[in-house]
Amino acid sequence: MITAGRQVRFGGLILLWVIALAVFAARAPAFFSLANLTSIFQFSTLLALVTLGQTFVILTGGGGIDLSVGGIVSLGGLLIAFLIKQGTSPFIAAIAGVLFGGLLGGVNGLIITRLRLLPLIVTLGTYYAYNGLALAVTGGVPISGLPSSFGLLGQSAVLAVPLHTLVIVLPTFIVMVFTLTQMPLGRWIYAIGSNETASRLIGLPVNAIRLGAYTFSGILAALAGLVADSWLLSARPNIGDNLELLSLTATLFGGTSIFGGSGGLIGSLLAVLFFTSLQVGLQMLNINNIWQLGVVGLFLIGSVVLDRTFRNRDTR
Amino acid sequence: MNWKQLFLGRREVTLALACVSVAILFQFLSPYFLTAQNLTTILRNSVELLLVSLGISFILATAGIDIAVGGALGICAIFVGWSIEAGWPLAAVLFIGPIIGTALGFVSAALIVWGKIPPIIATLGLFGVYRSAIFLLLGGSWISGLPDTLRLVINQSIGGIPVVGIYVLIFYSVGWLIIRWMPLGTAIRATGENERAARLSGVATGKTKFFVYGFTGLLVGFAALLYVARYRNVETSTGGLVALDAIVASVLGGASVLGGKANLLGTMLGVFLVRLLQNGFVLVGVPSLWEQVITGVLLIAVLVLDALAGARISNYLRSAANP
Repeated sequence: MITAGRQVRFGGLILLWVIALAVFAARAPAFFSLANLTSIFQFSTLLALVTLGQTFVILTGGGGIDLSVGGIVSLGGLLIAFLIKQGTSPFIAAIAGVLFGGLLGGVNGLIITRLRLLPLIVTLGTYYAYNGLALAVTGGVPISGLPSSFGLLGQSAVLAVPLHTLVIVLPTFIVMVFTLTQMPLGRWIYAIGSNETASRLIGLPVNAIRLGAYTFSGILAALAGLVADSWLLSARPNIGDNLELLSLTATLFGGTSIFGGSGGLIGSLLAVLFFTSLQVGLQMLNINNIWQLGVVGLFLIGSVVLDRTFRNRDTR
Repeated sequence: MNWKQLFLGRREVTLALACVSVAILFQFLSPYFLTAQNLTTILRNSVELLLVSLGISFILATAGIDIAVGGALGICAIFVGWSIEAGWPLAAVLFIGPIIGTALGFVSAALIVWGKIPPIIATLGLFGVYRSAIFLLLGGSWISGLPDTLRLVINQSIGGIPVVGIYVLIFYSVGWLIIRWMPLGTAIRATGENERAARLSGVATGKTKFFVYGFTGLLVGFAALLYVARYRNVETSTGGLVALDAIVASVLGGASVLGGKANLLGTMLGVFLVRLLQNGFVLVGVPSLWEQVITGVLLIAVLVLDALAGARISNYLRSAANP
């Protein structure tokens, strides 16, 4: 069910995207090449995976937010690269890394649900702990020199679409959208996000669902780490830097309410594509990327204000 | 009330004990720890954090949070550095930091109060904006080798007490007066405890928030002044981990993200514990890259222990009430 407000929002998002594309096309004709389309998808995977997880976490409400995702991307990527360098088969290493990401996310979820602590302060603590750990264990030096056969996932493309977009992002997105819109679990997620007390009273497993959301967010973050490893054939300890800011911005800009219980994944994915196009386009126009963080910060603040305006109009 | 209830309720006692035990532990591991020189270093390194943490304690008391203070400190430091480079008179240099800081604090408050944006989102957005701004303002190069114009501001001592210590004591006294004795203090705690109820009973919650973020900005600006006075340079990383350290110190001191609580003596002791630990780990040979991990884990540990202890104390009090 898509309300009028959401239609306006999706329309607005697509319109913004088209305007950005038109500007880039006028200023840098190479922007519309097939190779550039591939690179937009290529760059969007990390943010897309992390944002899908972030959206789930925020939808479950209770002040849900995951500030630690960037650190999990880095740590997951580092573990996978470390294991491969130790001679573990890439497949096993990838599974171990993704499970490790789930564990790190699960730590967030357990502390938040068991001890009833606010997600923002818990994940702020793990944000510093995970990011710091990634820097500390490596001394800031990337683990490089992964075998080039491992680059299959991150570097190859099928019909101009990167392989990881096809086998990881798209299936994850479809399964998550299906779950959210067609399965009871999806209804429950919206329910606990919009009214926790009522959900508890009718017997929904609020804590289990929230624990699941944080764990899943960790798994997706580690998957992003895997893609980054395979793409760059090295694991950087700071590969996940600023992904918490970017993923939050994409989620909120895509129309999910920061208070949970309303919004969805389609908006998030559109926002990710918008941001990545912007990023790639600005790079082509040689605009200094120092601006990026600041612009994203303004978008974050702007999208919450925008959200309030839309919601007020919906309820009026 | 027996001694157990009194003792369990005294956060400062627990914290002071923690500080002493940490000090003893590190003294065993490194003979340099409890030397006069090292303790002076720890106190010196605490000054800026003490100021910022005071502000963060006020913000946490209103159930807010500010993770952009580090970036704000960096921006203030840049302006202080520029004003010295431009040869401004001392009086003007002294005021530029606190003025810019207060202005930045009001920006946070405006977003939170007028924009109705949750504090974590507003300050996370500003964090990104400030990071970019610092790079743009510095243009990739550091401000370094500043003249020691500000020597008089930090290197004096009055009656044997270093003047920076006196600044800290003045600010904490003002803070304590506000939180303990003034209607504004009640308004701050009421806003954090239950904002709606506070507003309905006539508390100007918006103005209260403008005050706490503005006050924090003032402290951040002053901390930036002391930072520049001491190091005489400004880098892109200036203020980097201040937000984390200040939040950890305040939470250690007994503040809650849920608001309504402020314990300034606790915050002070929290700052000392954070700095003792950070200094001690370096002395025993842990690379400084681990500082962030240690502080982050400390935050989680305090939250978890508090939650567990909170459950135990309330159980204890309940069983004491209904034997």
